[in-house]
Amino acid sequence: MKFYADLHIHSHFSRATSKNLNLEELSYWAQLKGIQVISTGDCIHPGWLKELEKKLEPAEEGFFKLKNEYDTLSQTQLPSALRRDIRFVLTTEISNIYKRLDKVRKVHNVIFMPHFEAAKKVQDHLNRIGNIRSDGRPILGLDSRDLLQIVLESDPLSFLVPAHIWTPWFSALGSRGGFDKMSDCYGDLTKHIFAVETGLSSDPLMNWRLSQLDDYVMISNSDAHSAQKLGREANIFDTDFSYPGIYNALKDKKNKGLLGTIEFYPEEGKYHYDGHRNCSMRLHPKETIENHGLCPKCGKKVTVGVMARVEELADHEEGRKSPRARPYYSLIPLPEIIAEARGVGPNSQNVQTTFQEMVRRLGNEMFILQDAPVDMIKKSAGSLIAEGIRRVRNKEVHIAAGYDGEYGQIKIFTDQERERNADQMVLF
Amino acid sequence: MNSLNHFQNEAVHYQGGHLLIVAGPGTGKTHTLTHRIKQSAKGLKSTEKILAITFTNKAAEEMKERLKLDDDPAPSRFVVGTFHQFCLDILKTYSDKLNLSKDFRVAEPEEVYSLVKNIWPDKTRKEVNRLLDEISRWKSAEFDTKMPEVVILCNQKLREVHCLDFDDLLFFAWQLFNQNKNILGEVTSQYKFIFVDEYQDINCIQHVLLKILVQNEVCLTAIGDPNQAIYGFRGSNVAFFKSFQNDFKGAKVLRLSENYRSFKNILSASSQVMANAQERHVPELTAKLFEEGRLIMKECPTDKAEAEFVVHNIEKMIGGTSMFSQDSGRVETDKEGEASFGDIAVLYRLKAQSFCLKEAFERSGIPYYISGQKMDEDTVCPPRAEDLDRDAEKVSLMTLHAAKGLEFSVVFIVGCEEGLLPLSLLEWESDKEEERRLFYVGMTRAKTHLYLVRAKTRRLFGKIYHLQESPFLHDIEEDLKVYEKTDFKKNQKKNDEQMTLF
Repeated sequence: MKFYADLHIHSHFSRATSKNLNLEELSYWAQLKGIQVISTGDCIHPGWLKELEKKLEPAEEGFFKLKNEYDTLSQTQLPSALRRDIRFVLTTEISNIYKRLDKVRKVHNVIFMPHFEAAKKVQDHLNRIGNIRSDGRPILGLDSRDLLQIVLESDPLSFLVPAHIWTPWFSALGSRGGFDKMSDCYGDLTKHIFAVETGLSSDPLMNWRLSQLDDYVMISNSDAHSAQKLGREANIFDTDFSYPGIYNALKDKKNKGLLGTIEFYPEEGKYHYDGHRNCSMRLHPKETIENHGLCPKCGKKVTVGVMARVEELADHEEGRKSPRARPYYSLIPLPEIIAEARGVGPNSQNVQTTFQEMVRRLGNEMFILQDAPVDMIKKSAGSLIAEGIRRVRNKEVHIAAGYDGEYGQIKIFTDQERERNADQMVLF
Repeated sequence: MNSLNHFQNEAVHYQGGHLLIVAGPGTGKTHTLTHRIKQSAKGLKSTEKILAITFTNKAAEEMKERLKLDDDPAPSRFVVGTFHQFCLDILKTYSDKLNLSKDFRVAEPEEVYSLVKNIWPDKTRKEVNRLLDEISRWKSAEFDTKMPEVVILCNQKLREVHCLDFDDLLFFAWQLFNQNKNILGEVTSQYKFIFVDEYQDINCIQHVLLKILVQNEVCLTAIGDPNQAIYGFRGSNVAFFKSFQNDFKGAKVLRLSENYRSFKNILSASSQVMANAQERHVPELTAKLFEEGRLIMKECPTDKAEAEFVVHNIEKMIGGTSMFSQDSGRVETDKEGEASFGDIAVLYRLKAQSFCLKEAFERSGIPYYISGQKMDEDTVCPPRAEDLDRDAEKVSLMTLHAAKGLEFSVVFIVGCEEGLLPLSLLEWESDKEEERRLFYVGMTRAKTHLYLVRAKTRRLFGKIYHLQESPFLHDIEEDLKVYEKTDFKKNQKKNDEQMTLF
C-alpha cells in the first residue's frame, strides 16, 4: 500500500512547541496534509506516554490508532473525502551530550519501538541516566553508541536513526560536536544503523557524495514543533501497512518499499553556505577555500556552513548517486506557495483560509503539491497559485542560499508577476 | 603518564629509610605512591610483603587495580586496605586471644545508634549522637586512659550481639599488640614495607598503631598534604604530619610541588588562600600547564539565583543544550563545547545547599548526580554502587569533603559566604583553619575554570540568612578575579554595577 509517513515530530511536552501537538490535532492535520503514518514523538516522556496509552489502541502490527472517542476534531471538521486511517508509531528523539574520542559531542538520535513494552523498557533505563521529565526530548550524558545498545536490547524490531545528520550543532556528522565518520560515533554497533535522516539542512544529493553513507537509506521528516509543520518533509512508502513494513523497507537493501522522500530546499537553512552576514557576503565553500577562509570585504574569518562540511567529508563530486539512492522531490509547503503568491506571511489568516479551502476542494496537501492536475488547481485557486505549484514541481524556482545565520530565500515569483496577477485572485 | 619528573623520581627511588612525601594537589601523588610501591617490591624476599594503607575503601580498590598491572606473578605480596580492614583481618585471625567470638561482626553506625538509644531511651537524638561522639573520641584518642562508664555500657551491648563498632577494630588491635608481643612480632615480620596514604588524616590511635608496627627492619613511607587536612572534626590530627621525623628516626622529607592539574590563575589563587593560613606547611606549587584559566566571581541576590547562575553557565560551557540556545545568541557560536557533563562539578559546604541546585537542574533537564559518599570511610565493606549506569555522564553535585581526591575541568563552589565558609551557622563549632583547608581542597579540584559564587540571601533549615562574603575570598588577589556581571533579567543589571566594589 502506498502511504506517506512523517517519522520525527514532537509533542506539546517538548520545549518551544505548540500546544496543538496533541493526538487529536495531529490526526486532523495529518489528514489535511495527506500523511497517514506519523510518529508519536516524545514517547518516553512520562506525561506523553500516559496520554498515548490512554488515547491510542493497537492497529496493524506496531501501528497505533487514535481511539474513536478522542478523534472528534477530525470527525466533525473534516469532509469525508479527506478522511484517512491515521496511524502512530512510537518514537522519540534523544539529545546526547557526552565526551567521546577526547571531544565534546552533541548528537540527536531518533529511536523507534514497535510496542509500549519496548518503549517502557527504554524509558526505565533512560530514567536512571538522566531527567526524562523536563523535556519531551531529554538531554542525556549518554554516548550515542550506548543509547543504540539500549534500544537494540528493548526489542528485535527497535531501531535508531541518527537525526538531521548535518546540522552544525547536535548531529552525528555536524561540524560542531559531530564526528567525521559514522563509525566513530556508533563504534562496534554501527552495523545496526540502516537509515539516516537528512534533516532540513540537507537533501539526498548532498548525502550521496559520501561513500561512508552508502549502506544507509535517506529518510526525511518534519521535526514538527507545531501541527501545521507536519509533512514539510516526509517519506513515501509502498509497502506493508505496518511497522515491520516500514522497518524492512528501510533496512533491507533489496527492498524498494521506500519510494522516495519529500525534501525541503536545504538552501533555506541559515547555515547552508558560508559567509559573513554583516558584510552581506555569501560564499560557496569552494569560494571560501579560494579566499583562505576570510571574508573578501572585511578580511575577518568567514562563518562556515553545512555545504562546507559536506565538502570536507565528501569523497565524490556532486551528482553521484549512492547504491541505495531513492528519488526525492524538493517541495515547498502549500501555505508558503500561497503566501508568496499573495505577498504576505505564511501564517496570515488570508493564507490559512485559502489553504483550508483548497484542501477541501481539491484533496490533501500532498495530492495538491504532487499529483493534482494544474488545470484543476487553476479552477479552484487561480492561475497564480496553480503556476506556483507547477513551478515547484519542475524546480523552476529561484534559490538564494542562507549563510551565517541569515535564512535562505526560495522565490517562485518575481514581484512583477505577483502584481500583474493580483486581480486574477479568486476571492474566498 | 608513565614517566616521573625529577621530584617524583627522587621519591620513588629513595632508599635511605623512612620517608614522608609531601604532595600538594595535582602533583601526581597516586602516581608516585604506586611507583614507589612497585619499586620497593623489587627488593622483597619471597616471604615478605608490602602493606599499603589507604584512607577509603574506594582508594584501596583503585590501588589494588593499579598494582595488578605489573607482570608480578605473586600479587598477594601487596596487602592493600584501610586501617579498619587491616585490623579486622588481624582480629579475625587472633579472635580467641581477646575473648571475641570467632564470628564477630562489625556493627553499622545505625545499629550502634540503636543500641545506645536502648540504654537511654529518654535521651533525644542529639544527646545520643553526642554520646556516640564521646565514645568514638575515647576509643580513638583517649584509649590509654580509664574507660568511662558510657563506653563500658556501650561495649556490653555490642558484645551481647557479638559485635564490634568501627573504632573497636583499631582499639582491639592496639590492645592485642600491647598484650601479646609475640603476636606483634609475627605480624610485623611479614611486612618489609608499610605505606600510608593521606597521612594528614590519621588520628591518634592510628598513629599509635603505626608506631607499634614500624619497628626493627620495617620501612615506612607516608604521603599526604597537610594543607588538605579536613577531617579534624572526626579526630584526625595534622600534628602527626609535623612530628613525623620525631616519631620515625632518621626519616627524610621530600616534596612534590609541580602541579599538572590546574591552570595558572586557579593555582595561584588557591595558594594565596593558603598563604594566609596560620601555619603554612609547604612552599608554593608550580603550575606545569601554560594556560591561564578563568577564576570567575559572582554575587547573586538569592540562593535560587545562585542555582540558576550555575545551570546557565553549564549550558554555556556545553555550548548550548538546544537549537534555541544557539539562535537566540545565548551562546557564542564561535566557541566549541568546552566541557561535557562529566567534566563539571558543583561543590557546597552543606548538603542542605543541594536543594536549590537540584530544583534548578531538574528544570533545565541537565543530567546531574548528587554524591552521597560521605560515610564511605566508615564502612568495612565496599560501597554500594550508587549509579547503575556509571558510563552516562552527569554533572557532579557534592560537598567539599566528598570532592577530595577528585578533579574536574570546571568547578563551581557555591555559598562562598561567611557562616558557610567558614562554617559557623547554627551551633556548628568549626575550626577556621580547617575550613580554610576545605576551601583550598575545593579550589584545587578545578583544572580550567573555577567559579566562586555567593548569594546575598539564602534559605537554610527553614531560616533566611543574609551572609557576608567569605573572608577567604579576600585572600585572593584582585587581578586574578573576573567578575561576572551578565544577567538574565534586565532589572538586576543596575544592582550588579554597584557591586563592583568587591
